Amino acid sequence: MTSPIERRAPWAFLAFLLMLLALGAWQWRNGAPLSTDILELVPGSSRDALQKSAEQRMQEPLNRELLVLVGYPERERAIAAAARLADAWRAGALFEKVQTGVQADLPALREQLLQGRLALLGATTRERLIDDPKAFIEQRVQQLFDPFAGFGLIANQQDWLGLAAAIAQQRPASANVQLDLGSGAFFAEADGQQWALLRARTRADAFDMNAPLEAARLVAEARAQVTADGGRLVAASGLLYAAAAQQQATREITWVGGGATVGALLLLLLAFRRVRVLLAFLPVVAALLAGCVACVALFGHINVLTLMLGSSLIGVASDYPLHYLSKSWGAATWRSWDAVRATLPGLSLSLATNLIGYLALACTPFPALTQVAVFSVAGLLAAYLCSICLLPALLNGLQLRPRRSLLSLARRLLAARAALLRRTGSWPLSLLVLAFCGIGLMRLEVHNDLRQWIGGSPQLLAEAKAVAKITGVQPTSQFFLVRGDDQTQLLERQATLAARLDRLVADGSLAGYQALPQLLATAEQQQRLRQALPALAQHWQPLIDLGIPRSALDDELRQLQALPVQDINTALAGPYGEPWRSLWLGASGNQVAALVSLRGLSDATLLAAQADGLEGVCLVDRLGELNRLFAATQVSASELKLLSCLLILGLLVFPFGLKGALRVVLLPLLAALCSLASLGWLGQPLTLFSLFGLLLVTAIGVDYAILMRERVGGSGASLLGVLLSALTTWLSFGLLALSSTPAVSNFGLAVGLGLFFASLFAPWAGHAHTDTSHAAEAGE
Amino acid sequence: MRRLLLATALSLLPALAQAFGLEQLAAQLGKPAVVRGEFVQQKFLRALEKPLTSRGEFVLAKGHGLLWLLKTPLQQDYRIDEQGIARREAGGWQAIPQRSASAQQNRLFLAVLGGDSSGLQRDFELALQGDAQNWQLTLTPRALLLKQIFNSIRIDGGALVQRIVLDETQGDRTELLLQNSVAADALSDREQHDFTD
Repeated sequence: MTSPIERRAPWAFLAFLLMLLALGAWQWRNGAPLSTDILELVPGSSRDALQKSAEQRMQEPLNRELLVLVGYPERERAIAAAARLADAWRAGALFEKVQTGVQADLPALREQLLQGRLALLGATTRERLIDDPKAFIEQRVQQLFDPFAGFGLIANQQDWLGLAAAIAQQRPASANVQLDLGSGAFFAEADGQQWALLRARTRADAFDMNAPLEAARLVAEARAQVTADGGRLVAASGLLYAAAAQQQATREITWVGGGATVGALLLLLLAFRRVRVLLAFLPVVAALLAGCVACVALFGHINVLTLMLGSSLIGVASDYPLHYLSKSWGAATWRSWDAVRATLPGLSLSLATNLIGYLALACTPFPALTQVAVFSVAGLLAAYLCSICLLPALLNGLQLRPRRSLLSLARRLLAARAALLRRTGSWPLSLLVLAFCGIGLMRLEVHNDLRQWIGGSPQLLAEAKAVAKITGVQPTSQFFLVRGDDQTQLLERQATLAARLDRLVADGSLAGYQALPQLLATAEQQQRLRQALPALAQHWQPLIDLGIPRSALDDELRQLQALPVQDINTALAGPYGEPWRSLWLGASGNQVAALVSLRGLSDATLLAAQADGLEGVCLVDRLGELNRLFAATQVSASELKLLSCLLILGLLVFPFGLKGALRVVLLPLLAALCSLASLGWLGQPLTLFSLFGLLLVTAIGVDYAILMRERVGGSGASLLGVLLSALTTWLSFGLLALSSTPAVSNFGLAVGLGLFFASLFAPWAGHAHTDTSHAAEAGE
Repeated sequence: MRRLLLATALSLLPALAQAFGLEQLAAQLGKPAVVRGEFVQQKFLRALEKPLTSRGEFVLAKGHGLLWLLKTPLQQDYRIDEQGIARREAGGWQAIPQRSASAQQNRLFLAVLGGDSSGLQRDFELALQGDAQNWQLTLTPRALLLKQIFNSIRIDGGALVQRIVLDETQGDRTELLLQNSVAADALSDREQHDFTD
């Protein structure tokens, strides 16, 4: 007979499931709402809006720009191949801009140089003109005869004093990259190869998961073409990393998810020998669905890292049906609704402890773990509901024929444990465990680095290195953010910083930097230069001797004096300002701000010292900051772990009393300690992720201890239930340990180890006085 | 000014071998191992009545490079070879820092010195008139960037190059006269020293 609840619950859950499906389908209407951006998973930086926009500014090219080098022994072939590639890519839809060289807008450049003769003039030339006008004129005379003075960009009669020519010369040379004068193409020379450069930028609105994959596909296609033609192609871009991460995640989710699924299904079949029992996998499907839907609903998308960690939920979600299925060993006749009713308190307690464990994850300041927690909490709730509402109805009338040999195995294990305890007593075993833990813990190393989050493909890293070597451009993730009350103060502060950085460049600890003072003088400096101009007239003679009319020189002087003071916006607007444009953040509140970007840094600690004592200057070192934050979070994670244990303890005092509850909580803690020690023995580092894994172990371990404590259907059946669920869970987390993303594999390893110890220690959760009855049970 | 030297060098080298006439010219100019001579450089600037005039001596050596020794109105020695451009200072040869675009000009020049004609033919239209005793070669830029700087480069000569004229888009014109050029078999010790130092 079925009660009204038993009749209605399945339909109610089915309706809920359909609703989830509909919601999920709607969320995926525009393609998979997946994200690969690792940075969105780490805590947001300081509340400072300016710093945030600075970080975005520095980050943007990484996410949108693609740098490709096409190499041939002959430069013409390289440039032609890059040009062909650029044409093909321009015709496509992915990129908004594909650049292989300069757009030769020389008239605009000439105009800007002439207008900016005072504002853009470099410090060295400016100082010489002000301090020693005679030497300045002499040098100009020399230049006029110098066959190698350079580019004939500006006619001499427009620039007798050579100020515009001097500016054209001081434009920063970008490391190894040169301009092919004939074609206007960028190229670099390395290892006897001629490399043509191609820079592409994806459309700004390309926020879809396909942009990285599409970029990776285009690069692979281009590589195949160039290689077939006897050339070489290397590429570097954040897009390629994203694509690799996406592909790797897909691969690993398939393996981990597929492996865990196949394992769990096989186990169900082997243990219960009924095909219909495979329906017990339904809660897992419900769990994954609910997890995805909840994440997308809350965060707008789901990160691949979440999905990878979340796919291990398969193992936990399949525990619920296993708990009552395994009762078929204890009862003579197994009836689904009866079994559910008998195990309901235990199941609910398990759910509650699991939820506490995952919710503790959600309280950390790490969005990554918050996402995993949301995914898991929603998933577990769905799995639990599915297990108690829908599944019993589906399994109704099923006669289970569980393998008796498994039960006797479980009983033999319990008997062996009892026999061991009788022979040795508890103390030697406890001491052994303590020694194992002590030594292991001493060997444990703590290690945290954001790079663990990224499964670096060696090929991509090698290519990025090759690109950096060929172009000589090695961007660093650190940069300086400089603020000032006005543009003058900003430029002055940047200039002070630049002077310090010059020393680092001189001694080789920094390859170079880019800052606005390289572009533009302050209003006051421009003014000082203007005031120094009349003094030049006393030294005209050498120029007049060359045949230059005095009137022409005087005219030029008047022109120069009439040039207006330029501000940053004007200087950046022209083609000459292009390399500096991305550094300017503009006005924010009553301040203005700009960045100083760095290249080829060898010693990161030196940098922080450069900002010392400089007002309005701060070093933004996101990577370093995050790594420090990881370390700090480990402490708060440990506190959370203890707190979650206290909560679970409080929860369990009701059914088990204080002594029983302590036993049930301390065993998983011991298991966690043992897996920590095992990490030490294995020489594996303790990372933030392994710590969070252990947090989870406590929750799942409590679950096992409760099952053993409740002993529904006898100790043997309970142990079997524990072993079966441990096996499925272990399968999924163990598979995570094989991931090539260090963070994920660390997590999997820690949980896998913890589960092993948790199931090993689970029998101790039983009542001490019933140990003898176990032995009797085993012998029956 | 560099463009002028560039033209000198390229006209003296067998790099231009292309058609019948160019091939002959290249062979003729490529014969001597060393060419010494005097130069007069005149810069005709739009705004000046008289050209800016400078004089000096040059030594072009196959496989080494070019020495450009400016004598008047001021004294300054330059050297161009595979390493780049150097200026003689009190302490010896001082490399001139190579910056993007001007470095590239120098590179094109060196490519020509090295006999790499492909770059030249890609960037310029070449037209040859006259005979071996009296010829005229006109280079018209083909590439966009060069077009914005030169209208044309004209080279006249006989057994050796005699005159180079650069017509700039900005209205300036530079004439280079190579006078009393003499072909020789070997460098003097001092020149050898200048090149290898």
